[in-house]
Amino acid sequence: MPFPRTREGRDHRDHHQAPSEEEVLEKWDWNCPETRRLLEDAFFRDEDYIRQGSEECQKFWIFFERLQRFQNLKTSRKEDKDPGHPKHSIPALANLPSAYDPRYRINLSVLGPDTWSSRGIGRRLPMERMSEFRRAMLHYLDFGQKQAFGRLAKLQRERAALPIAQYGNRILQMLKDHQVVVVAGDTGCGKSTQVPQYLLAAGFSHVACTQPRRIACISLAKRVGFESLSQYGSQVGYQIRFESTRSAATKIVFLTVGLLLRQIQREPTLPQYEVLIVDEVHERHLHNDFLLGVLRRLLPKRPDLKVILMSATINISLFSSYFGNAPVVQVPGRLFPITVVYQPQEVEPTTSKSEKLDPQPFLRVLEAIDNKYPPEERGDVLVFLSGMAEISTVLEAAQTYASHTQRWVVLPLHSALSVADQDKVFDVPPPGVRKCILSTNIAETSVTIDGIRFVVDSGKVKEMSYDPQAKLQRLQEFWISQASAEQRKGRAGRTGPGVCFRLYAESDYDAFAPYPVPEIQRVALDALVLQMKSMSVGDPRTFPFIEPPPPASLETAILYLRDQGALDNSEALTPIGSLLAQLPVDVVIGKMLILGSMFSLAEPVLTIAAALSVQSPFTRSAQSSPECMAARRPLESDQGDPFTLFNVFNTWVQVKSERSRNTRKWCRSRGIEEHRLYEMANLRRQFKELLEDHGLLAGGQAVKPGDSYSRLQQRRERRALYQLKRQHEESRGRRRKVLQLQEDPGGCSSDEDQAGPASQGADDGVDIQDVKFKLRHNLEQLQAAASSAQALTRDQMALLKLVLGRGLYPQLAIPDPFNSGRKDSDQIFHTQAKQGTVLHPTCVFASSPEVLYTPEQETRGSERTRDVKDKMSSQHQLLTFVSLLETNKPYLVNCVRIPALQSLLLFSQSLDTNGDCSRLVADGWLELQLADSESAVRLLAASLRLRAQWESTLDWQLARKAQQRPEEEEEEQDLLASCKEMAALSRELLQFMASKVPYSLRRLTGLEAQNLYVGPQTITAAPRLPSLFGSSTLSPHPTKGGYSVTDFLTYNCLTSDTDLYSDCLRTFWTCPHCGLHMPLTPLERITHENACPEAPQDGPAGTEEDAPEPLQKVSALQRPFHCEACQKDFLFTPTEVLRHRKQHV
Amino acid sequence: MASESERRPLGVFECQLCALTAPYSYVGQKPPDTQSVVLLEESYIMKDPFTSDKGRFLVLGSRCSLCSRLVCVGPECSLFYSKRFCLPCVQKNISAFPQEIRQDLEKRKAPPKRPSSQPGYRT
Repeated sequence: MPFPRTREGRDHRDHHQAPSEEEVLEKWDWNCPETRRLLEDAFFRDEDYIRQGSEECQKFWIFFERLQRFQNLKTSRKEDKDPGHPKHSIPALANLPSAYDPRYRINLSVLGPDTWSSRGIGRRLPMERMSEFRRAMLHYLDFGQKQAFGRLAKLQRERAALPIAQYGNRILQMLKDHQVVVVAGDTGCGKSTQVPQYLLAAGFSHVACTQPRRIACISLAKRVGFESLSQYGSQVGYQIRFESTRSAATKIVFLTVGLLLRQIQREPTLPQYEVLIVDEVHERHLHNDFLLGVLRRLLPKRPDLKVILMSATINISLFSSYFGNAPVVQVPGRLFPITVVYQPQEVEPTTSKSEKLDPQPFLRVLEAIDNKYPPEERGDVLVFLSGMAEISTVLEAAQTYASHTQRWVVLPLHSALSVADQDKVFDVPPPGVRKCILSTNIAETSVTIDGIRFVVDSGKVKEMSYDPQAKLQRLQEFWISQASAEQRKGRAGRTGPGVCFRLYAESDYDAFAPYPVPEIQRVALDALVLQMKSMSVGDPRTFPFIEPPPPASLETAILYLRDQGALDNSEALTPIGSLLAQLPVDVVIGKMLILGSMFSLAEPVLTIAAALSVQSPFTRSAQSSPECMAARRPLESDQGDPFTLFNVFNTWVQVKSERSRNTRKWCRSRGIEEHRLYEMANLRRQFKELLEDHGLLAGGQAVKPGDSYSRLQQRRERRALYQLKRQHEESRGRRRKVLQLQEDPGGCSSDEDQAGPASQGADDGVDIQDVKFKLRHNLEQLQAAASSAQALTRDQMALLKLVLGRGLYPQLAIPDPFNSGRKDSDQIFHTQAKQGTVLHPTCVFASSPEVLYTPEQETRGSERTRDVKDKMSSQHQLLTFVSLLETNKPYLVNCVRIPALQSLLLFSQSLDTNGDCSRLVADGWLELQLADSESAVRLLAASLRLRAQWESTLDWQLARKAQQRPEEEEEEQDLLASCKEMAALSRELLQFMASKVPYSLRRLTGLEAQNLYVGPQTITAAPRLPSLFGSSTLSPHPTKGGYSVTDFLTYNCLTSDTDLYSDCLRTFWTCPHCGLHMPLTPLERITHENACPEAPQDGPAGTEEDAPEPLQKVSALQRPFHCEACQKDFLFTPTEVLRHRKQHV
Repeated sequence: MASESERRPLGVFECQLCALTAPYSYVGQKPPDTQSVVLLEESYIMKDPFTSDKGRFLVLGSRCSLCSRLVCVGPECSLFYSKRFCLPCVQKNISAFPQEIRQDLEKRKAPPKRPSSQPGYRT
């Protein structure tokens, strides 16, 4: 092979150059920008390896300067010429270059401009300099190659050094012979990152790997993508609720367990995968346990499907035996020795039973570390605390200590932080400073931080527990299990020998439970049961769970779903139930969405449902800042918290759509976590798509034509946004940043600002969240929805509350009758199962409780001074709430006030009456005493009719959606008919809600509730008068006594001293519709009214005009407009305003 | 993300000395997607996995011009001096190489004072 001639190697010059070359060489200055630009123009064009203006180009010049300095050094001590070698006998060696030159060691060559277009440049740049430059480029490229190859080799070395590397072949081998393999290994053994790659290498191309957490999906996909060298390709992807990087080329996908279950729901045999890795099975999450059960049933049907269960070395035999003694590959972890120091807290807080945690023991550990270990010995601290409140307590104290010593950077870590804030724990502290991370149990398994040398373990964890009786969630503090304690300890020994400080006694440790309680045994199972039903896995009671849930929880869940109408009496899924099963939200919120879209309130309900499905956006710290609270006030709605959230979201969208305004700032000044609002926007969009998919919402509005200019404008804006996003992603490729010592220890901890100046330098203050938001959402549409929301009419508002009330039923609370005499913060409420619940401090009714007080009925003459308890009024209110959460007190979360009588009549599962219907008991715990039996009967009759109508409309609509779309015309007609029907129903509901009847409301005492019913009667003489009963036949109620009128209404079953025979008491009555005049019992009146042939079907005639207008489709330009001339409010575009004004001229 | 015209890997490159493996997508002297760089040996090439730039490539290795073993470009396995030589071949024929290379190898054999992976032109 001839010696390859490098093109830049020829140094004989072409001498038809300008004569001034010597001069040019003399004056040559590499640093002159003009020179550099000329060279860049020539060598760094768009099609070249290095492009002008790129980051690469900057790097090159830095490299170039360094190379120059180095070569100057070298030339100054230039050695004498190599004597030259004798020609070698082997031909390959024979024609090695005779004189050594470093460039012979470079295996590439750059095509310079001389090959294509030298003339112009050649005149300005002397050849010698050109070749010098080209040589530098060569070295630069070679350097880049060596660097990249070095990284590649290092990566492979590290992978090979992982403990699991020894077991890769064994796992693959076992997978050949067995359908299920358990891989058990402790953190750090590399199982989560390596096993998927072994599968890839073995040729599998449809691999799913489930993770319990979304964060893990993203970070694993990135890591595995990187290690398997397809980081920027797409073989490795992830899929989580709002994001997916999956494509046709994806071979491994990391996804959440919930998402995989939904895939199984769609395709029960999971045909798209060959191998399924279920990671972190030992964590025993609800979904994971369920998935295992589903898989156990699926395996016989999919003999070709392979399953790998991955677990820490905890309770492995449980998993193995559940899958027919599946083989176990146990991988030793890679841990350095860890010293355990027990430091029990001497003085238990017995005297001061303050709820606050004492940060002192934690500070003492920091102090001890400062005293014992010199600062140059690196090693960070990880503190495990039970919850966010504890973290902020210790954070405050530790930051004071840190600012004092200047040797610590203290960082919180919990799931409520934004991703950016969570990422900070991976940054490195400056030399001589240690990082102290205060974490919940999130750092126990899911987040792994390098460089931890000390672990401080409080021994506590806060977990949700569920009380099925009270339907109450409790966030309680528990001792951790031994398994968790070991896991926490292990975090200290990942990078070197470590120390674990346990702030409890060894005897405490011995008393810990061996394993944590599986989630399935401590949470509400409503959603799980619903999902099981929709996946047709049979009776949940007999489902082969790996460890079954408590039967009581299952029964409560089934009962609850029946109450909610998701299951029928035979426990089969109802149409609404099957729809609910597909919405990834709480049943109550799902119901709201469905109901809302039927009443043409989809837009506001979407927002509210999304707002109720994310954590509260209100930051805790703002609670103590009067400015924040004052800034928030205009957003508050005295209707209830969901409406406040609704206002917050809408206003935020408005602020966003005003170009120049910065929502980050807007949020901060109001104590709002903007991250939550982004989540709401994402959820809202997902809900909308779901409703559209299920035909509950008309699909995406036709794209507004717009003029070509604005379209062009839009496209340009989008392109600019994409560009920003790309730049951001490139510049930020997770480079570890150096943390700064905090200057103000008291500052809010989670503020984006703190990282601001340091981390955002490159971004030029670009709010990447904002950019992503604008790319993902149609801001114009959102803004239109938001501005229409501000123009909600009273009627729409009332309907919206009705929808919420029905969705949230039976989550009701009654204000304590003596609340008006209590302090604002001491308002008490009672639910059916729980007495003495309180409002969350952020609740609007906690700051203005007076809106719940019942005004005294305008003097009804006689008894003004009745007992407060039996106050007569037409305005009693109840609270309906989203959840009941017990921490140190039982809190009602997200409350809305609703009119009591009307809501109970419309929603109650059980309504019992006395003989003349003046006394009603709803759901066996709330008693309503109406002043006037006449109006009681009238209301009751109306509610019966409305409920029936509502129910049938709902069923009909759902059934219609369930069918495949009918022909176009039919659909048009259907749509028109259903619109009319809904309008009529809404109108009547509104009338019903507006009815004013004085009554008293109270909660029955326990004793009263027990002795509520007369019980089965011996004389079961059903009232006669068959002609008046219509089709419904009355039967005596078997347990309560009285008669069942509908499945919820039982007539005359309430005990009382007077009305034992009242069902026989007839009084003369005239039917307002048909004029029938005869003596009837109240019951007979109701049944007549329901069956009266003359009764209007669609409510009283003549009220068509004031039908609640459906939410108009609002153009983005419309604004509320109040016309002074005609004193009316409109929603007008500017041109409409002009047109309207002309009318008055 | 933009549409990805991903090049399917042709096969897996494996160094016959150190067993380093990596998928390669091109073999030859003209790396695809770039016009201005040519290689001076028949090389096994992959897209540079450490950058999102499509045009970047990474040379994994090539055949030793003496024994035709497939070797990676890592300094423990081979060197390039106008052509590729695997280190065993260099050792065998050390006299054929200039002094600079001999010195280099000596240095490499001695226990590395610094992480020897630091390539480039620093002292």
